Amino acid sequence: MRRRLREKGNAFVIPAIFWVLTFTIFPLVYSFRVSLSKVLYGKLAGFAGASNYLRMFGDYRFWGTLRFTLILVLISVCATTAIGLGLAVVFNRKMKGLRVFRSILTMPLFTAPVALGYLGVMMFYEENGPINVLLKYLGMGKVPWLSHPLWATLAICLVDIWQWTPFAFIILLAGLQSISDEIYEAAVIDTSSGWAIFRHITLPLLSPVLGTVIMLRMVDAFKAFDIPFSLTSGGPGTATRTLTFYIYTQGLRNFDLGYASAMAYFLLAITMVIGLLFFRRYRELYE
Amino acid sequence: MRRRRKGSVVTEILTWVVVVIAILWVLFPFYWTVITSFKKPADVFRLSSIPWLQFTPTLSNWQTEFTQRGPEILRGITNSIIIAVFASLLAVALGTLAGYGLARYRYVKWRNQSMAFWFLSQRFLPPAATVIPFFLLMKSLGLLDTRVALILVNTTFAMPFAVLIMKDMFRELPVELEEAALVDGCSRWEAFLRIALPLAAPALVATVIICFSFAWNEFLFALVLTYKKATPMTIIIAGTEHTQGVQFWYVSTRLLLAILPPTLLALTVQRYIVRGLTMGAVKG
Repeated sequence: MRRRLREKGNAFVIPAIFWVLTFTIFPLVYSFRVSLSKVLYGKLAGFAGASNYLRMFGDYRFWGTLRFTLILVLISVCATTAIGLGLAVVFNRKMKGLRVFRSILTMPLFTAPVALGYLGVMMFYEENGPINVLLKYLGMGKVPWLSHPLWATLAICLVDIWQWTPFAFIILLAGLQSISDEIYEAAVIDTSSGWAIFRHITLPLLSPVLGTVIMLRMVDAFKAFDIPFSLTSGGPGTATRTLTFYIYTQGLRNFDLGYASAMAYFLLAITMVIGLLFFRRYRELYE
Repeated sequence: MRRRRKGSVVTEILTWVVVVIAILWVLFPFYWTVITSFKKPADVFRLSSIPWLQFTPTLSNWQTEFTQRGPEILRGITNSIIIAVFASLLAVALGTLAGYGLARYRYVKWRNQSMAFWFLSQRFLPPAATVIPFFLLMKSLGLLDTRVALILVNTTFAMPFAVLIMKDMFRELPVELEEAALVDGCSRWEAFLRIALPLAAPALVATVIICFSFAWNEFLFALVLTYKKATPMTIIIAGTEHTQGVQFWYVSTRLLLAILPPTLLALTVQRYIVRGLTMGAVKG
């Protein structure tokens, strides 16, 4: 048990708590009120009950954005975790230059997502963009990356995967490196199959870290906005609008503030469920 | 060490193939942006990738950018720097205090764990949930299109992160040093400032750098809260497309200016990245 000094330490935590109350909790409470209001010309105009929430169920565009968001979450979380795990296993050995490679692989994490979207516009350019030229050499025809809904979905997933695979990679690598060598030495006596060791020893020991990665990746994928905004502007049509994108459009372009706030609360509910699962799992770390 | 005994030469080669592919995969988009910014328009669509061999590099895109759109870009960079510097310093100042409190005191009324969770929960908060009330708030305070608004926003996002990272860092410092200082007649405050803070300095700098990158890369709130005077680089590059179509040779110069500062800074904080990205759930 760590020792703690006995005096009162309120002065240390109060500024931060005050800040969160002012700039997060107060806006959230206010937003809840907006979500229960009728809005006319950008101004609150009376109580609307749950009608903004009920409107979501009948809005096909809402379901469309929710569907796209879920597709993005599913593809991006699975792909980044799988590729990241594969890379982490490969990099988990003593080798020259490991730290340099690891550093290079973390670069995408600190690149502005909105810039990556525009970078993607260059890479996925249909007439003679580098990716389509490469595919032409491989014998494929011109791929309509940004003008066909399915390909545009894939393009957004690919950019997201490019940016976030390093996230899974370095965290899982840290997890692998914390598994002690003696466990492996003991395992080698019992079996010679590398797969058996991975399946029955590495994976169970890694599962808490794997859980962290998957939960944090899910939350970030649910929040996605920058890449669809810059890469496809939500198009073609509205095929690649995420929930955040739709909330932004409804609330801050069409000034339908009540409805947008209701949808924002829906998104908040999803991410908070993930947050609660995360905390229940890692409670003791935050003791 | 985990070494496969069988076929060690083959696994060695396979490992290096994977490593090389991964590095190329990561670096190629950056490389492509750099060379595009040095290409003449004709070369951009002729698809050439090796400077001097396949195309003659030119500085003209950069020159045109800085002469024709110089003031706009300069304003974007200045705004980004001011916003990110103030937001990260403010976030780390608040975060260090709270992190120290959580690491060294036992709070009975709110419990340390509840407070830590409260800060952690901000990581799960979608920005879309606060963007509308923030817009209304800033509008009523007359702070739309000011750097102050974005400093407040980015401090809010980065601060919980700073709290949890600094809490972990102070936990790892031996408490005995501070206790000895107390015995010698230091006040709590002096023990914090003179003993704990200098020991935590490397972590402190790393946290500032990571918060700086978050703030520099923020887009949604910048899009909503600024339109002319206070627009940071992320908005400057977003404004590009509409006015300039597919002039990739200009776009790429601006992308580089937006991408490079946080990406290069982050290379200096590798030791803290794993903790940073998982809010302390995984020690790297």
